Amino acid sequence: MSEATTKEFSVIGKSVPKIDARDKVTGRAKYTGDLKVTGMLIGKILRSPHAHARILSIDTSKAEQLPGVEAVITAKDVPATFYGISPARYDETILAIEKVLQVGDKVAAVAAVDEETAVKALGLIDVEYEVLPAVLDPLRAMDEDQPQIHPQYERNISVEIHQDFGDVEMAFQQSHLVRTDRFQGNRATHVPMEPHAAISKWENGKLTIWSSTQSPHYFQYHIARVFGLKMGDVRVIKPTVGGGFGGKLEPSAAEYVSAALAMKTGRPVKIVFDRKEVFFHNRGRHAQHIELTTGVTKEGKILGVHGKYIIDGGSYTSLGIASAYYAGAMLPLIYEFDHFKFDCFRVHTNLPSCAAQRGHGAPQPRFAFESQLDMIAKELGMDPIEIRKVNARRPNTMTLNDLKVNSCEFMACLEKAREISGWVGKKGKLPPGQGIGIGCGGFITGAGYPIYRTRLPHAAAIVKVSEQGDIATLYIGAVDIGQGSDTILAQMAAEAIGINYEDMRIVSADTETTPHDFGAYASRQTLMSGHAVKQAGEEVRRQIIELAAELLEASVADLDIDRRVIFVKGSPEKMLPFETVANEFFIRKGPLMGKGSYTPPKLGGKFKGAAVGTSPAYSFAAQISQVEVDEETGQVMVTNVWDVHDCGTVINPNLLHAQVEGALFMGMGEAMYEQVVFDDKGRPLNANLGEYRVPTALDVPQVISELVDSYEPAGPWGVKEVGEGATLPTMGSYANAIYDAIGVRLYDLPLTPEKVWRAIHERKKPS
Amino acid sequence: MIIPEFEYVSPQSVQEACALLVQYGDSARVLAGGSDLLVKMKDGLMKPAYLVSLKNLDSLKAIRYETGTGVIIGARATHNEVMNNRLLQEKYRSVCEAAHSMAADQIRNIGTVGGNLVNAVPSADLPPILIALDARARIVGSSGERTIALEDFFLGPGKTVLEKGEILAAIIIPDQPTTGSNYIKFGLRRAGALAVAGVASSVTVSDGTCRDVRVVLGAVAPTPMRARQAENVLRGKKISRELIDETGRIAAAESKPISDIRGSIEYRRNLVNVLTRRSLKAAIEKGHI
Repeated sequence: MSEATTKEFSVIGKSVPKIDARDKVTGRAKYTGDLKVTGMLIGKILRSPHAHARILSIDTSKAEQLPGVEAVITAKDVPATFYGISPARYDETILAIEKVLQVGDKVAAVAAVDEETAVKALGLIDVEYEVLPAVLDPLRAMDEDQPQIHPQYERNISVEIHQDFGDVEMAFQQSHLVRTDRFQGNRATHVPMEPHAAISKWENGKLTIWSSTQSPHYFQYHIARVFGLKMGDVRVIKPTVGGGFGGKLEPSAAEYVSAALAMKTGRPVKIVFDRKEVFFHNRGRHAQHIELTTGVTKEGKILGVHGKYIIDGGSYTSLGIASAYYAGAMLPLIYEFDHFKFDCFRVHTNLPSCAAQRGHGAPQPRFAFESQLDMIAKELGMDPIEIRKVNARRPNTMTLNDLKVNSCEFMACLEKAREISGWVGKKGKLPPGQGIGIGCGGFITGAGYPIYRTRLPHAAAIVKVSEQGDIATLYIGAVDIGQGSDTILAQMAAEAIGINYEDMRIVSADTETTPHDFGAYASRQTLMSGHAVKQAGEEVRRQIIELAAELLEASVADLDIDRRVIFVKGSPEKMLPFETVANEFFIRKGPLMGKGSYTPPKLGGKFKGAAVGTSPAYSFAAQISQVEVDEETGQVMVTNVWDVHDCGTVINPNLLHAQVEGALFMGMGEAMYEQVVFDDKGRPLNANLGEYRVPTALDVPQVISELVDSYEPAGPWGVKEVGEGATLPTMGSYANAIYDAIGVRLYDLPLTPEKVWRAIHERKKPS
Repeated sequence: MIIPEFEYVSPQSVQEACALLVQYGDSARVLAGGSDLLVKMKDGLMKPAYLVSLKNLDSLKAIRYETGTGVIIGARATHNEVMNNRLLQEKYRSVCEAAHSMAADQIRNIGTVGGNLVNAVPSADLPPILIALDARARIVGSSGERTIALEDFFLGPGKTVLEKGEILAAIIIPDQPTTGSNYIKFGLRRAGALAVAGVASSVTVSDGTCRDVRVVLGAVAPTPMRARQAENVLRGKKISRELIDETGRIAAAESKPISDIRGSIEYRRNLVNVLTRRSLKAAIEKGHI
């Protein structure tokens, strides 16, 4: 353990209340949908009823004549600039130009004085379509007889990846046991409580957008590019946000269309998606079809792995290219092996687009791997925890795909999970119908490279102390979407300066008033934004101490600050209050400020796609679940989950455990309940919260969330990620627990009662 | 979500409400809690020109006991009012449990018994247990009042025997010798989920013999249905595990489920078999109605 972990902190490491808790529980917090801008119109989008169709004509004349309608726009009224996430795959436009590619695709839009009028106007727009055959089955999307969705993607191949590390064939030849199994993931989606929403204002050549966003910076970048504006003429402001989970990392039609309507009308325009539109926009989990082959020695040591994937990307590429690479890049992270082959086709279908969702591309492969590892352990007669310990990654190692791992307490996670779950007394010993299973995971702490090419630092911060020295304000582009980054960054700033948490104010995520930050994704802010905050706070601290040394006639080296008191070490009676020195500073020198920024070191290998998966630090987790299966109905009740996380130093324990629980429950939803399903015309059958079922408080198990001692040298004060890592182990640990309970292996997510029942039924049939 | 335009009327008496419904005919719908109707209107599945609100008709809200008649549940009583009603808890606890199995607090606070029945959704949770308890529907129209067996109330999904100008006023559970009853719902989540299948049963047991029995299935036919052949297996017989197993199998065979996103035909038949057994066992053993 490093010295830093033994130091007593004043502000970090404490479960201070969330900085916005009072506003949220009293309803004072304002989300984008709550905001009203003078003269504001309401925008609505006309969406395609067809999965794949050519637009022959659009007649907007009747809609335009409806009193209260201020503008009706189609593709010809907006820039035809293609957008997306990587220039080679910019394939989406503000409104559909020639073809619609999914049910719910964006065809036209109106701005009207109120929502009723806007909705009525949508009904007056006549669109003539030529309905085309649609691609609805990802496994058939590459067949010759299937229609081609985008002209530039032959056989509907959106992304094709072939990575080959070492010699996997040789590894299989040397293996004692080689298993091939097929797994199928599900189309899950984020379901943020707050739907996508934006208000655009166009004034004097400047576009201001209030948006429910995970990244004001990327929004500013993309929106400026699509509309041909300077980035400085686009301001993105993030009000309170009610969840993102990856679905608000790129601008949606809420931003693009409201901006286009604002430019056309000269009036502010608000667009708030309804729940159905959130499902149409989607950008949720790709359904992955995974064929996994793993070879091991008779001691259970993994020698080689070959993953072959076909993943359903839906209509547009969006962030899906990254999802596809992550699906392979994260596999070699938590277990050590040398030979790995990864073949992946991300295919287009005429279904909603898939992109980034908590755990980005990695959870379903992790489900497959953790399931198969248990099958291998069974064949070898090994305990599932033992086989994981045989292969567990060690600290200060390099993965076969050139990911540099510093801290890694995965082994300790496994041992602690075994201990606190009572594994030894339970595994194979529970009454019939009850079972226990393990699944593991690990994740990046921020991506090593930004989403578009730029040399900007990844995070930056400014701290400004008030003239009276009573408070300090942190200006930061990091994005609090409910996870609590405002709170932990304020704690970090207070710690670095030497003042109290209560003295901190925060202004976050506004491209004009706060310095650049890439935003809330890839579990990056605690480490990356935290670095910038620590540096900014320490700069204030240094300036305060320098002036205090002068005032106290002491040397800088002898002074320290703790909770607003500046004192001479060893002679605490020689002290000055923080506000006295800060006030004097302002009088003598003007504003007392500190700034900081963070750029990760150059990371990763040289092969194609090597940037994906790079990170300054990685989390590790082991999760053990206990289930009871009703064999007659197939219903699975998860009674307990023990999660042990290696997430470095903890800034706010309550928020950390809340992240573990939230990630776990989200993983539980994907494991057991959630799947967007479509009819044979590509129309979603459950685009609502009644039939797309996320677990409720009554459904979730008792969770014991524990940590292991860990210090990450790449993180400020030793921190690393927690928010996504805990999503990864859940699916596998449930599947393994179900197997332990009833001896039935399930390969398809979600693990619904009917699937469990069918599997039991199949097993009971005489062979 | 925008609700289409409509005319809202709130009559002061049941008679006035019936008269308005006669006057407006098919262009009117009755508004009670609105938890089904308003959602359908927002989804564009229904566009009534008139909503006739029952909110002033307090006579339709009471839950009371009338000697010689039984327990009368006003059609406007909400699910939570049913769930928390002391009289029902004492006399027909299973009805309270069925109300509790529905949706979530927010909806149970506004959704009504009448709405749950009149919407005639095959998966509704109250009809099976009410039919198992031989409940009657009191229907009021402009030309008078009639009372029918609730079992005969449903004609198909969304269809009931209500004629133009008629309102479901109350549900009556008559006094009965029933010794136990029970409703088991199988949903895909513990709250806020429609039944994939639901089975209610009531039994009259003495000396280990099943004197009378009703088994009512939900979500496995176009309407809630009595599993009459299954009932015949058990009625008048000495209760045994084998007989209950047989009752479950027969109930599954006579159910008429469809496949949809919540479950397949085979799975629903399996659920009917399992839930029938469990429901009967609970009704026989639990000792409350």
